[in-house]
Amino acid sequence: MFQNRAEAFALVLPAAIFAGAIFLVPVVILLSEGFRSGDSWTIQAYIDFFAQPLNQAVFLRTLKLAAMVTAASAVIGYAAAFAIVNLPPKGKGRITGLVVLPLMISPVARTYAWIVILGRTGIVNEALVAVGLSDEPIRFLFTETAVFIGLLQLFLPLMIISLISALENMPRDAVPAARVLGANWLQVFTKVILPLTKEGLVIGGTLVFTGSMTAYITPAILGGSKVLMLETLLYQRVTMANDFVSASVIALILIVMAFAANLLLKRLATARNKR
Amino acid sequence: MSNKLYAPIILLLVLAFLIGPFIIIIAASLSAGETLSFPPQGLSLRWVIKVFEVESFRASFGISMFLAIGGTIAALILGIPASYALSRYKVPGAETIRTIVSSPIIVPGIIVGLALLRYFVVPFNFGILFALFLAHTALILPYAVRVVSASLTNLRSDIEEAAVLLGCSRVGAFFRVVMPNIRGGILAAFILGFVTSFNQVPVSLFLSGPGVRTLPIDMLSYMEITYDPSVAALSALLAFMSLGIVFLAERFLGFSRYV
Repeated sequence: MFQNRAEAFALVLPAAIFAGAIFLVPVVILLSEGFRSGDSWTIQAYIDFFAQPLNQAVFLRTLKLAAMVTAASAVIGYAAAFAIVNLPPKGKGRITGLVVLPLMISPVARTYAWIVILGRTGIVNEALVAVGLSDEPIRFLFTETAVFIGLLQLFLPLMIISLISALENMPRDAVPAARVLGANWLQVFTKVILPLTKEGLVIGGTLVFTGSMTAYITPAILGGSKVLMLETLLYQRVTMANDFVSASVIALILIVMAFAANLLLKRLATARNKR
Repeated sequence: MSNKLYAPIILLLVLAFLIGPFIIIIAASLSAGETLSFPPQGLSLRWVIKVFEVESFRASFGISMFLAIGGTIAALILGIPASYALSRYKVPGAETIRTIVSSPIIVPGIIVGLALLRYFVVPFNFGILFALFLAHTALILPYAVRVVSASLTNLRSDIEEAAVLLGCSRVGAFFRVVMPNIRGGILAAFILGFVTSFNQVPVSLFLSGPGVRTLPIDMLSYMEITYDPSVAALSALLAFMSLGIVFLAERFLGFSRYV
């Protein structure tokens, strides 16, 4: 450890000042706009925002979709991560690589694939019509289901890798020990695996929840203006109505929700542990 | 259910869900037909060739490349000294500084883009490209600091103290002893930063103007107008590009150790 303060500051300040000036200051000014009316401070913009049924619906839909994607990715994530950590080492590395691979690919490309699959002339519809299950193509695009599927595919890898590292840090013989002592699989999961991997679940859950809530591309492509989420609503308010006050309100909601999700998941994890 | 069967079935389903869409996109982009469809109507490379002929794709690819490479280099120039100070010096308020530097990850990108547009580009008459460059640099900075800090923590600090004791200057010790040892970490940070910036959409959403658009934004607006398979072909090409970069990185420096 070097003690020279001047040197330390000279090294660290350019980065801190840059991030502060380019990031924090403009964002804080933007957020403050939602509380200003002329010269005085007020929360009127927030009351107005939530008074509109459309905004309420978008807010609730965003919460609902983010919660559903998080829950689904936790269930699938545990199943997949458990299968992966029990593989022989070579297979484990390869499969983990395949799970992580999609994260490196453009989300636009990843979301676009679902148009090919779910569109009017997409695979699912062609198959349904060919088999005779449906007379005409079913509309999947621009529904909440399409957005849900798109978000799940986008963020599931984050949950799986968080859970893999949590499961790997678990004592090897914890599960066999519980089984020998007579616990069934449900008990093994709730009493042994869950408490021991809660940190991974909290990290993965926060990543998936905030990711889903602040996703723009997926609701824009697969939801369109029929299935607005908070980010697409923000974009629409600014580009169509120059409505920066609503934009500021949505911005603060997104940031607060991200922190709240993190705190809530932490709370849930510790509460389980005490029992 | 028997344990032996459970693992392969689950993994097959999950991988089909995660990877399957790319195989379909690749197939769709090789279609000879006029519209997007699967299975493809005949095989041809016409849409792959079309991608290279679309003027706006070429221009926006250039801009995305510039932002990804330039932004990552700028982020490393800011990030390496900061990481070094945070790991080797007693910095007063180190936690606050860490939070400020990593704030770009926490705040949703769309908000950052909007804030920059409103308080930098419009009042100070900043060029869109310059604002994009600043935004991408700030976005990459947290990744650069995290990855470089990790490799600095793994490097024992007594070797540079030894170099200083043996008469090397502090700066000399950094460039001759520390830098060669964290080269892998810097390269890993570069790749992570490049991929993050290149695929970034929300930050760039509001920061686009006539002639200045990143490639993903260009793809989004192209998709709204036309329904031909060229976006599928472009998506497939970009996927191969990312995979190629990650494959080379993994091959030559064991990228996954750093991320």
